[in-house]
Amino acid sequence: MRGVLGHFKELDGAVEAITELKQARLGDVTVFTPTPRHEFEVAIAPPPSPVRMYMLFGGLAGCIFGYWIAIWASNYWPLVVGGKAFGSWIPYTIFGFEVFVLIGALSTVAGLFIHSRLPRLTMMVGYDPRFSQGDFGVWVECAPDRAASAAELLRKHGAVEVRSER
Amino acid sequence: MATIAYEPRRPNIATANVQLPAVRDYEQVDNEITATLRPSKAWFALLMVAMSCLALGIASWMYQIQQGLGVAGYNPPVMWGVYIISFVFWVGIGHAGTLISAILYLFRAGFRTTIYRCAEAMTVFAVMTAGLFPILHLGRPWKFFWLIPYPNWRLLWPQFKSPLVWDVFAISTYLTISTTFLFVGLIPDIAVLRDREKNPVRKRILAFLSFGWRNTEREWRHFARAYLFLAAVSTPLVLSVHSVVSFDFAMALTPGWHTTIFPPYFVAGAIFSGIGMVFTIIIPVRKYFRLQHFVTLNHLDAAAKLCLTTSLVVGCAYMVEFFIAWYGGVKAEQDYFWNRVFGQWWWAAWIMLTCNMILPLSLFSQKLRRNPSWLWILSITINIGMWFERFVIVVPSLSHEFEPWQWTTYAPTWVDYSILLGSFGWFFMWFLLFVRQFPVIAIAEVKEIVPPRLRHAHAHTPETADDFEPETPGVNF
Repeated sequence: MRGVLGHFKELDGAVEAITELKQARLGDVTVFTPTPRHEFEVAIAPPPSPVRMYMLFGGLAGCIFGYWIAIWASNYWPLVVGGKAFGSWIPYTIFGFEVFVLIGALSTVAGLFIHSRLPRLTMMVGYDPRFSQGDFGVWVECAPDRAASAAELLRKHGAVEVRSER
Repeated sequence: MATIAYEPRRPNIATANVQLPAVRDYEQVDNEITATLRPSKAWFALLMVAMSCLALGIASWMYQIQQGLGVAGYNPPVMWGVYIISFVFWVGIGHAGTLISAILYLFRAGFRTTIYRCAEAMTVFAVMTAGLFPILHLGRPWKFFWLIPYPNWRLLWPQFKSPLVWDVFAISTYLTISTTFLFVGLIPDIAVLRDREKNPVRKRILAFLSFGWRNTEREWRHFARAYLFLAAVSTPLVLSVHSVVSFDFAMALTPGWHTTIFPPYFVAGAIFSGIGMVFTIIIPVRKYFRLQHFVTLNHLDAAAKLCLTTSLVVGCAYMVEFFIAWYGGVKAEQDYFWNRVFGQWWWAAWIMLTCNMILPLSLFSQKLRRNPSWLWILSITINIGMWFERFVIVVPSLSHEFEPWQWTTYAPTWVDYSILLGSFGWFFMWFLLFVRQFPVIAIAEVKEIVPPRLRHAHAHTPETADDFEPETPGVNF
């Protein structure tokens, strides 16, 4: 993976650079930002996060398991309590709900990790510790023949530092 | 060339209409919040006090294991005492954290931003503390895992119709989700610490804990979505957990317990007590670390309004209990409530009513809502009042059931008090260790409030910090 990294102090400069890079189709753009900003979301226009699906299917699986374990165990060890049926769905809703939340939430975190490609063993190219503090970074993954154009574009929009990495 | 407008619209986090005028840039946020991680003599002294209390609690527990539960003052039929009271108390304390971090997040209540990290950590440690008490209450505590459903050679399964098994599921789910919620929110902040760290060993540990977080737009997009869904499922969870805890009582026919108001009554009480503990913690933290410009008086004012609201709900629940006892016409219930307020347990009931209903009415005064010293004193009385609320629920009912020949009394022993003190030591030990290792204010979320640096000044850019009066009532939310 090779490309050009632009280091910005100002938000609007980075957003303008991304917009122009997308129009010029110089390469895939990755943005580094210390805090989530909608300006980047608008400029990049990414697809919706699929993390919600993890919650849905994980939660449903958990809910089914919660009801199942309670009903199965009650039938396996049949003991009448308070004249209620062995598989009493009303009190077992507690298990259905709790396990729905448990598995649904853990699945959501798994979805976050999978789609964010975490855990990451190395910082890889294009990262700078200043991006977690206050500065913005724009990484353009492009072929060497386009690197000069990308670097020029980044500088034009106020990048304080532009460097090629691979 | 087009100019990008700075428009703080539709924020990812609950920052709507909240401003921190004295916080000027991202560097200040990093520097001032990470400054709380430096150890100090006061921190070590407090940690020693907490660990000493914990050691006393452990020693008392060992004595109890050796001598039996009788040393804890149990006398039939009062077989629930300080341990169950403290269990409900600590679970309740844990509720405010999720309320502040999840429910207020969904409602876009901006004042949560600077206090929610403390509240979330408080939740995790409070639930960890609560989880100890049912185990402490067992005669053979080493067999606590029998409540967990797992395949075993005895082919025995727990009784799923028992509220105690409901508790196991509710509390363990709550602890897992609260911890997950806290840790997921911490990941970007741990990345900040990692990138600032000079010590190579500590840097490696932080790199491991941050999972290699790089602050890419992709990571933030999935993070925001995951955080939203975690908040969405934590909201009904927080309501369910204390409802389930209330079922421990409400499923019994005991006078004072067998009532349908218990779930909402317990949830409101839990949130009220939790907010009390948030004040107990956040006000000294704010003062000691000089974070008054992050946790402003406006934030405290808003939290105090929440405290007042929950106090009114709890007060209403107390009145409804009395009304239902009178209106229901059940003699045992009427006798029980009379005994609670004017009889044997009048002192506990009046401590509860004074601390939870009367003193919080002072928060109708804006001056007192914006007085951190008063809020801290009030929070201590709320903590005491809420512990006594659980005392009043547990002990008077068991000591005054249907049969007069069973009526008795109950007095906690030194073992109870030592273990209660030990639980505070356990809680504050974890909290102090947390404060030393992780930021007590969410760095990434605060940065979202702070206006970013721009090349082109724009009409929508907020005025300079000097144009705001941070301590002016009602400005920021």
